[in-house]
Amino acid sequence: MSHRWGMVVDLDRCTGCEACVVACHAENNIPTVGEEQALKGRAIHWIRVERYYEGEFPEVRVKFQPVLCQQCDNAPCEPVCPTYASYHTEEGLNGQVYNRCLGTRYCANACPYTVRFFNFFNPAWDKPLHLQLNPEVSVRQVGIMEKCTFCVQRIKSAEVHAKMEKRDLREGEPTPACVQSCPPKALVFGDLNDPESEVSRMTRSRRGAKLLGELGTQPKVTYLQREDWNAKNI
Amino acid sequence: MERRDFLKATVLTGATAALSGCEKPAQKLVRFIPEEDLVPGVATWKPSVCTLCSAGCGLMVRILPGEAEVVRGGKLGTIQMGLAKKLEGNPNHPVNQGRLCARGQAGLQITYHPDRVNGPLRRSGPRGSGNFLATTWEEALSEVVSKLGEIRSKNRPRSLRVLSGRLRGQHGELVRKFLKAFGAPPAMVFDPLDEPVLRQANLLSFGQASIPSFDLARTNYLICFGADFLGTWNSPVAQSAGYGEMRQGRPGSRGGFVQVEQRMSQTGGNADEWIAARPGTEGVLALGMAHVMLKEQLRPHVQDNATRLIAGWSEGLPDYAPSPVEEKTGIPGKRIERLAREITAHVPAVAMIGGLPLAHTNGLFSALAVNALNTLLGSVGTPGGMFFAPRPPMQESEDLTEDGNFVRDLLGAKLDGTDVLLLHNSNPVFATPAAWKVRNSLAQIPFIVSFGSFVDETSELADLILPDHSPLESWLDDVPESGTNRAVVSLAPPAMQPLHNTLAMPDALLTIAHQLGGDLGKALPWESFQDMLQDSMAPLRTAGGMHPPPSPEAFWTQVQEQGGWWGDEPKQFGRLASPHGRAAVKFTEPQFDGEESSFPLHFQPYVSQAFLDGSLAHLPWMQELPDSLSTIMWGTGVEINPKTAQRLGIEQDDLVEVRSQHGSLMAPALLSPGIAFDVVAMAMGQGHDNFSRYASGRGANPVTILAPVQVAETGSLAWAATRVRVSKVGKARPALFSGGLFERPSELQSR
Amino acid sequence: MPRTSDEPNAHLVNHDLVNKDLLRPVALLSTRFFLVVALLGMVVLAGFSAWGYQLYNGIGVAGIRRPVFWGFYITNFVFWIGISHAGTLISAILRLANAGWRRPITRCAEVITVFALLIGAMFPVIHLGRPWQAFWLIPYPNERGLWPNYRSPLMWDFFAINTYLIGSTTFLILPIIPDFALARDKFSGWRKRFYGILSLGWRGTQRQWHRLETAMQIMAIIIIPVAVSVHTIVSWDFAMTPVPMWHSTIFAPYFVAGAIFSGIAALIVAMVFLRRFLHLEEYLPPVCFDNLGKLLLLMSLLWLYFVFAERLTVWYGNETAEVSVLWLTQRGPYRYLFWIMVACNFGIPFPLLAIKKLRTISGTCIASIAVVGGMWLERYLIIVPSLSRKFLPYAWGTYRPTWVEITITVATFAGMALLYVLFAKFVPIISIWELKVGMREASESELPIVAQADLRTDNIAPERANNQAGGRGQFQK
Repeated sequence: MSHRWGMVVDLDRCTGCEACVVACHAENNIPTVGEEQALKGRAIHWIRVERYYEGEFPEVRVKFQPVLCQQCDNAPCEPVCPTYASYHTEEGLNGQVYNRCLGTRYCANACPYTVRFFNFFNPAWDKPLHLQLNPEVSVRQVGIMEKCTFCVQRIKSAEVHAKMEKRDLREGEPTPACVQSCPPKALVFGDLNDPESEVSRMTRSRRGAKLLGELGTQPKVTYLQREDWNAKNI
Repeated sequence: MERRDFLKATVLTGATAALSGCEKPAQKLVRFIPEEDLVPGVATWKPSVCTLCSAGCGLMVRILPGEAEVVRGGKLGTIQMGLAKKLEGNPNHPVNQGRLCARGQAGLQITYHPDRVNGPLRRSGPRGSGNFLATTWEEALSEVVSKLGEIRSKNRPRSLRVLSGRLRGQHGELVRKFLKAFGAPPAMVFDPLDEPVLRQANLLSFGQASIPSFDLARTNYLICFGADFLGTWNSPVAQSAGYGEMRQGRPGSRGGFVQVEQRMSQTGGNADEWIAARPGTEGVLALGMAHVMLKEQLRPHVQDNATRLIAGWSEGLPDYAPSPVEEKTGIPGKRIERLAREITAHVPAVAMIGGLPLAHTNGLFSALAVNALNTLLGSVGTPGGMFFAPRPPMQESEDLTEDGNFVRDLLGAKLDGTDVLLLHNSNPVFATPAAWKVRNSLAQIPFIVSFGSFVDETSELADLILPDHSPLESWLDDVPESGTNRAVVSLAPPAMQPLHNTLAMPDALLTIAHQLGGDLGKALPWESFQDMLQDSMAPLRTAGGMHPPPSPEAFWTQVQEQGGWWGDEPKQFGRLASPHGRAAVKFTEPQFDGEESSFPLHFQPYVSQAFLDGSLAHLPWMQELPDSLSTIMWGTGVEINPKTAQRLGIEQDDLVEVRSQHGSLMAPALLSPGIAFDVVAMAMGQGHDNFSRYASGRGANPVTILAPVQVAETGSLAWAATRVRVSKVGKARPALFSGGLFERPSELQSR
Repeated sequence: MPRTSDEPNAHLVNHDLVNKDLLRPVALLSTRFFLVVALLGMVVLAGFSAWGYQLYNGIGVAGIRRPVFWGFYITNFVFWIGISHAGTLISAILRLANAGWRRPITRCAEVITVFALLIGAMFPVIHLGRPWQAFWLIPYPNERGLWPNYRSPLMWDFFAINTYLIGSTTFLILPIIPDFALARDKFSGWRKRFYGILSLGWRGTQRQWHRLETAMQIMAIIIIPVAVSVHTIVSWDFAMTPVPMWHSTIFAPYFVAGAIFSGIAALIVAMVFLRRFLHLEEYLPPVCFDNLGKLLLLMSLLWLYFVFAERLTVWYGNETAEVSVLWLTQRGPYRYLFWIMVACNFGIPFPLLAIKKLRTISGTCIASIAVVGGMWLERYLIIVPSLSRKFLPYAWGTYRPTWVEITITVATFAGMALLYVLFAKFVPIISIWELKVGMREASESELPIVAQADLRTDNIAPERANNQAGGRGQFQK
């Protein structure tokens, strides 16, 4: 049976600590762009924790919302890429083929979640920081779009190992870097094709909703709403 | 030429100079023989210990073979070696249970940092100029030995001082044994992240001067006074894990969470209810709730030491009725009544206090008040409440509280007469108020040795730098003080071979001890730290955790493989010792430095999500991590309420000056709705003068302008007690990751 | 008597004088010409240097950022492709409508089209992150079995623009051939050889004329839908994405109308300059500007209608993300640019073009310059505000262009002018034979066809032409 990878983000568990952000950097060779480029809005964070304020002091509320590539089934970024660098894989992921990318940045404009990032310059690591780079993930050059891949290298590796050992993938296997690191266990990842997997069960939760679902992108990340405990709290 | 560039240049020329004595000047990179069995492309996982904060989480390190430039036998060359590529939480470690925080993930960059001191250095210019020349380990160690021998022979062993960060586990044991055998005073610990007021309160209330742990997974209601427990305080990963379970881990049951603080922290953003009581009145609020609970008999009346410490408790806390509490805290009496009823209706419930409330001059009172509240709630040592992590049954020469205190010794002029200072894991020149003149005091010490891996504001004063291995290259051990209900001793062998010409600090101490000989040599008989660790673990073999107890060799192997030893899960929380406190306390107004008329705003520096106290500012991932609330990268900002800003004529991104009675700094203004009108806040950690290329000359350090006010009972810095004034001085451009600042969250559509 | 509005050049009767006047700019090389070329050339060179700088250092030297990934370059792209609609309208549509007043301006217009397309088509390459692989957009068989994604509007751009370019170039070059032949016959020396090659052996036979006419007719019919499709497809670069205020069905006609609008304005500007500096006052009489001015007015009203319709529906529909973009341009930081744009596209042109007294050559010139600027701004305001405020406010961001983008933008205007100046130096900018046809038709509308055909052969027999005209002699080098 083929897999269909999906994720659940439980906003009631998420504390906004950004462990996922740094774990992703470490796993996926994401370049550090430096202050000057960060000022120009070119910092790359494949997963980011969005923070929204509501209200005024002292009735202030904060909402944390981790946003990553939603791997949409009806992805707006896929039809617009002239070279098929952005395409839909058989396991439901939105794949980004670095080699094929020309850097038109059309996909980034089309993405309503603004989860696609661009390499405006060639990345550089002051030696010996380059020794940390993960050899299982390509380093992207100037002009190439990149985004969250659900740690496809881990998915592939897990599938290869399972195949070698002649068994199915187990629950919790594979695990993207963000999911693995999250201290309050707010992120859940797994196979949506398996109705009994934890991610499938949680996707069916009554608290579940899709981010910008009204746009029809059919994202595969379900957000579980933060519950309002004692809504009378004023 | 910039100081750090000169340093780099001198180190490089120094290295070549040292080598040219015996080799040809033209350097060709030698290829060394691999020191390990490596299979290309195959990853191995090795346990390790995270040393970046006091939580002491367990790590698993992913090792993949790769080629690196290293120094072996004084020669520069390349070698195939196992390289750490990724850090994860150790799934078996009781503290973090397989999870890891943002800072823990970034620790990987320490090993590969371009500005790591990669060999022993000797000062070659005036002290503090940053001029160092490379030297050899032989020369460096023998110089230390001769200096120590000198003071020992002059019968002045008390002129040796050690200034260190937190000392735990055998690491700490080694330092203590060394100093005791040498005849020197105890090490001076300087750990800005420690909570001395909380320790003192717990000693008085519960008989244990320890940092508490919290069973959040089984709590129904948590009220937290000021502690950023989901971010940086105490054991954030363990607490976050418990918090996640508290919220959604029990089907049908969701714990509620109230946060009390003046500036919305990352933790506070998750609260169901956020209460901004006036600064320094957190204890009053806690007792206000207790008053209602006593009056309305919502809880069985309890008489325990913790409650006896509060004056007026047995009379039902008449001073803390809703009306006077409202006057002091600014929180309506009705709300306090509701909180009290709510919390008792949802037991098990627990109260937590830490961070800013304990940094006021009346911090001890607040801590004792919360201890009393917890006692009333019945949450001390019970499921869903607070408890103290059990200590492993190991040989310990001294109690933790016996360690010296740097601030106390500094301010008590106890540093006078110091001839030799050994620095380890501590940067007080950076993390103390300028008013304390730490740099001047330290600079007068004739001989300073630093074991640090980096040149920073404190270690740049050193005469000798004996660089330690990075944590991943070291034998590590730790005894976490909180975040676990089992006794834990973390232990791990090095995950990697050393990249540079460094030496593990414990091994350096042992070498020095052996060369000095005498009592010192006898007190530290081990050849290496590894041996000392093995010996120290022996009593744990039969102390539980592994059933049946394995043979000594098997035990030692298993401990190394799993990343430590942990005891059995206890059936209940440990019993408390007998409390020490006798005198009942009452509320005193917090004292602030600076007249309100000239300095109208409270200044609240806070421990930074990215840099903690500044010790992680050199990590590029942390510099580029957008702060959860302000989203700032590569800088600091002054958080100020938009109404206050408007009143002062300040707009977003304006450059403002923050002035206290003891100094001023400049930083961009960050308008933030989540902060009280009379408070401004700044993250700690930036404003380094000299701490690698990524942190130097960047941002501003809020600690420098703090008033030298101390909490009377502990002598610790009351870092919430400074008042400031803020004015616009120009324009700035902070690197904010977020575009919209006050926008509504995107509306999520229900299916 | 000729209908003055239809045949503006009816007052011209002397063919030889016509030849001389219209070939003189080609013949003379003045200091001023070299000065102008040098000046424009330097600006163009600066543009190329900026592009080289960008190629070397990476696209990051431009101001684009997250989330505004398209900025000046795509603005220029859309703008120049828009300008290229001048030729089609004038040449093709007016040709099909048999409007005589098009005769002196067809070539001016068609030239704008070709050069604007060439310039515009550079920008998809300039803005790429990896332009050295731009050839992947060409569908060619390769060992990896990879083809471009035909679903992408950028590929539709690729085909549409190339088709339009080929079509317009054909449309431009074909009717120049008789004029090249005239030049070949009138000039001597290197020019004779040069134009001899270019005239491709044109003898002006009946059959050749017939073929030319047929070809022009076919091209005129084909080129109109092609041109409409080009800017429709360019608009779909935006409309096919779910970006707030891009995802609008109105974009296709809105862009086509805007393109024609900006094209006419550019044409007027070009004509005004030509008229002044090449002394073509006789050949570009005020009635041309009057008629073009009326067309410009019509397009301005049409433009206003589209803008209003789009904004009203966005405001009325009150969809959160779209409305926030709307306010960004109405009340937010972009409001100054917005109102300048409205002033340039409507506020200034309307009175200048609607009031007959003001609809002079200077009037239409001022209006046109305003429109050219306003339409550039309009492209910018379509692209940048929408991208800077998409659906998730946390991800909003502001765009600021850098010197690289500004230099290249300015260089394109200089480049257009340079190409135009060079073209006008080597090719008669007014189609001589078409003009003469107009002259004949005006004065001798009852002549039999044979005689008309006969008269059109006057450019192959210089002696005869000379005799007829009274012997003006051949032009010297």
